[in-house]
Amino acid sequence: MRLSEVCFRYSRRDPWVLRDVELALRPGSVVEVTGCNGAGKSTLLRLLAGIVPPSRGSIFGQPRTVGYAPDVFPVNQPFTAMAYLTHLAGIRDVSPTRIGELAGRLDAAPLLDRQLGDLSKGSAQKVGLIQSLLARPDLLILDEPFAGLDAHTRGELPAIIGEIAAAGGTVVVSDHQNQLDTFPGAEHWLVGGGTVAVEAGERPRQAVIEVLVDADRADEVEQRLQADGYTTRRTARWTA
Amino acid sequence: MIPLVRFKLAAYARSHRLLQPVIALFAMMVVFYSSPIPAGKELSSYGDSAGLLILVFAWAARSLLDTEPPTQRLISMTAAGRPGREVGAGLLAALAVNLGLTAIAVALPLVHGFTALPTPGDLLRGLGLHLLGLSVGTALGALTSKPIMPSPAVSLLVLFGGYLAMLLLSLTPVGGFTVPIMPWMRAANTGGLDAALLPLTAATLFWASAGMTLYARLRRTRP
Repeated sequence: MRLSEVCFRYSRRDPWVLRDVELALRPGSVVEVTGCNGAGKSTLLRLLAGIVPPSRGSIFGQPRTVGYAPDVFPVNQPFTAMAYLTHLAGIRDVSPTRIGELAGRLDAAPLLDRQLGDLSKGSAQKVGLIQSLLARPDLLILDEPFAGLDAHTRGELPAIIGEIAAAGGTVVVSDHQNQLDTFPGAEHWLVGGGTVAVEAGERPRQAVIEVLVDADRADEVEQRLQADGYTTRRTARWTA
Repeated sequence: MIPLVRFKLAAYARSHRLLQPVIALFAMMVVFYSSPIPAGKELSSYGDSAGLLILVFAWAARSLLDTEPPTQRLISMTAAGRPGREVGAGLLAALAVNLGLTAIAVALPLVHGFTALPTPGDLLRGLGLHLLGLSVGTALGALTSKPIMPSPAVSLLVLFGGYLAMLLLSLTPVGGFTVPIMPWMRAANTGGLDAALLPLTAATLFWASAGMTLYARLRRTRP
């Protein structure tokens, strides 16, 4: 799957949310998407899921079966979790027995008889995850899946993600809490300023140190640090 | 697409929102048939009912399409495989609800309202006129649903204003080229319906499908 010169804005009067995004997604890859609030992470995920078309540019090779779990599951629906998931299994044309399997794995079996409106945030999140996994996805898109989940499910989810990737599926996860930071082989995308920066492989861990120098020697020290390959930034020109 | 239509209908029925257009329909029926319709006037009465119930059909379509939370529409789009299927399933579900309302509107006066049963031909003509009203109403309801018009105030204004505008425009000399509500009421009243049925149907279905196509087109960027 490939995104070529993809630009997106919600309407002609709105500012661009994403501009000239070039991305490639290999089958079997796991991508963690990070970025500030409102940076365009959810918009990027909706473009990948095929929910909205790009305003400009193209997306090639969109997979057939897409699983999508939103950041906030819509609980305001007049169904029990089981009735809801049975409908969704019907829409996806898969056997409802998958519901029981997935509910067992995510520790959600006791929730199935409850009304969606009565579920806590974490429980509702599990229903959202189950529906996204009903048909084995070629592309699985999880928007902030770890928010509100209990420890058991937080541990189980990376295993499920790994299995889908091992079977050749692509998984894209937007994740504020960096739960996939240590996931082996995960790519990291940073969304910000309308663009998506790709950091392949393990994300380098970085730290910021401040160095106080005489103002007269600032240029000299800065040049020496830059010569050694460090990124420097002047925070204050003069200090008393 | 049928399981998605079923899901939308189930959500609509369980949300009790279905009661709103049903109550509006019965209120209109009470007004239409408070005094018995004399024998021979059945088609004329069906023509008026079909023209006025457009408002109820539009309301039902709008309330059905607005029942689902916005995020559920996104989930349904991915579950159905393509966003277009979600949009199509929504329109089909709205048409199904309005078919049910049409059945009530056509059958009720047979039980209470008409002093004599209409001829089978007039019954069919009456049903046909209601189907025209249903198609226009569904399109108007879809165009005023939340993804297209997020503000409830604007949406209701456009729904009622749009209906009124259609009604008034169809009174003017160009009425035959707009949604011909008044022309079909008049034709049903004066007995000239058979001669005018083809152009009336063509004009109505043209505008209804134009409205639904516009809705589907706008939904591409308004999931």
